[in-house]
Amino acid sequence: MTRPFLSIQGIRKEYGGVTAIQDVTLDIAQGEFMTFLGPSGSGKSTTLYILAGFQEPTAGDVLLNGESMLSVPSHKRNIGMVFQRYTLFPHLSVGENVAFPLRVRRCPKSEIDDRVHAALKLVHLDELADRRPALMSGGQQQRVALARALVYDPPLLLMDEPLSALDKKLREELQFEIRRIHQETGVTILYVTHDQEEALRLSDRISVFSQGRIEQIGTGQELYAEPATRFVAGFIGDSNFLAADILSVQENRARLSICDGIVIDGVPVQGRPSGPGRPTLLLRPERISISLSRQDNGLPVTVRDLTFLGNMVEVSSVTDQDEPVTVRIPFGNPVVSQLAAGDRVWANFDPGALHAFYG
Amino acid sequence: MLLDFNRLGALRYFLLAFTGLVLLFLILPIVFIAALSFGSSQWLIFPPPSWTLKWYQELFSDPRWLYTALTSLKIAAIVTVLSVVLGFLASLGLNRGEFAGREQLRALFLTPMILPVIVLAVALYALFLRLGLAGTTVGFVIAHLLVALPFSIISISNALEGFDRSIEDAAILCGASPWEARIKITVPSIRHGLFTAAVFSFLASWDEVVLAIFMSSPTLQTLPVKIWTTLRQDLTPVVAAVSTILVALTFLLIFVPLVFRKRQKDD
Repeated sequence: MTRPFLSIQGIRKEYGGVTAIQDVTLDIAQGEFMTFLGPSGSGKSTTLYILAGFQEPTAGDVLLNGESMLSVPSHKRNIGMVFQRYTLFPHLSVGENVAFPLRVRRCPKSEIDDRVHAALKLVHLDELADRRPALMSGGQQQRVALARALVYDPPLLLMDEPLSALDKKLREELQFEIRRIHQETGVTILYVTHDQEEALRLSDRISVFSQGRIEQIGTGQELYAEPATRFVAGFIGDSNFLAADILSVQENRARLSICDGIVIDGVPVQGRPSGPGRPTLLLRPERISISLSRQDNGLPVTVRDLTFLGNMVEVSSVTDQDEPVTVRIPFGNPVVSQLAAGDRVWANFDPGALHAFYG
Repeated sequence: MLLDFNRLGALRYFLLAFTGLVLLFLILPIVFIAALSFGSSQWLIFPPPSWTLKWYQELFSDPRWLYTALTSLKIAAIVTVLSVVLGFLASLGLNRGEFAGREQLRALFLTPMILPVIVLAVALYALFLRLGLAGTTVGFVIAHLLVALPFSIISISNALEGFDRSIEDAAILCGASPWEARIKITVPSIRHGLFTAAVFSFLASWDEVVLAIFMSSPTLQTLPVKIWTTLRQDLTPVVAAVSTILVALTFLLIFVPLVFRKRQKDD
């Protein structure tokens, strides 16, 4: 096996008896876009700060190209970083900000000019080199911060929720820019966010963090289609969870019983129970359809509420066991006009689109 | 706003008058002194019988006045530099350090502001006599530094409080060593706080008289001490002339930066 580019090995961090992160282990390939996704306090930022050298782990190691980074002080790690808050140097112009990393590296003047120009061109701000940061919008400031973090060609770029202070439209615009810059430069990016849509949009792979641990690592599609835990299923996309009983398993396909005796065959199942325990069945709201009469694999539900969401209509319903089932139907589907609160209808699904897991 | 000036009705005339009175009360003595310094009466009669510049001539012809002024200037300059440097270091520690007793230490640094100066002066005098620092420039500087440092710590701490530390972290990740980042990035970012600290430190030393009386020797006197001793010997309009120049200088020191700062904001 080839040596991983960046290897985080069993990192643990404790603050005065409280464990902030534990057993964080992952390998990142050169040029990969890896996102740490999780709610606040899940340990994703702490992991990033350890990579930046602002915090020291209680245990574990971080290897870059096979060599431990931990003994190297922050300013010698040669890592680029874009912060959540605006961190441009307020007394320097945009050009001087971007030149700063090269100046402290004692680059020759002509080389500095060329590289600053190239970096600002990369973020489409080469016209504004003389401007003061205070006169720029938040989006522009983060672009400059990105240019400043890339101007010295760091092997690794850390981004700590860089777009969280921006409004939605600007955020999407910059997500697009970040993707383009990642493709143009080939730099390895570690990106922290709590926004699942942002993570899906940007990343090659995503590490989902919860309570100081990595719950699951995978591509967006893997996390969406085959979540390993209830937390991942709930965090990536919207979900319905139903308690299930396994009747039999063959080649990772299970025959399950849900809701007091409704049997479904051929459900993909993740993991094996070590002891007795009930798996959870995941149904994505957009993979369910509603019919007024019974079909194969139908589940009887009672409609509680209808919510218009623009392109979708959300149907809130409950099973006979009072387990909530949310269904999303495209607006314009004729069945929508026939539904009203209190109706008893059938929720239908393809067993292959479901997913059962333990956890 | 509820207390909008235009809505106050008749009350606002009262407020205007009251404000005017307070201003007058503050400014009148200074105007008096300035007028007397140009008056011909040796007994400081007001209004002056006629106008003259002879007290200023007398002042500038006596080298002791100039000498004490230079002494004051030298001590105030050293105190200013030390106060800003030490104030910056202390503020860094007080703002960012995580150690037990941090708030107590901050309070301790500020005690010279609330301690009666005369108590401090007597205590320092007793100590400096033993150490052989009484009547020396070093003794003067230490004594004045004690009263100047709280001003520095307050204004620099405030500036640091308002400075986002992520900016310094960004400089460090850009490749600057922690001290390089502090000097090249943090210091320029909080320059207004440092400037305020410098002005107040300078003034704390420049017009300080109680400590100076205890610290001075016949050969080492600051300007306020010289004024004080001259006043005790005889009442002469030369003192009024010195005071007028002092007021003018202080005025410049405070208001020039204000204008300068306003212009910077307009940029």
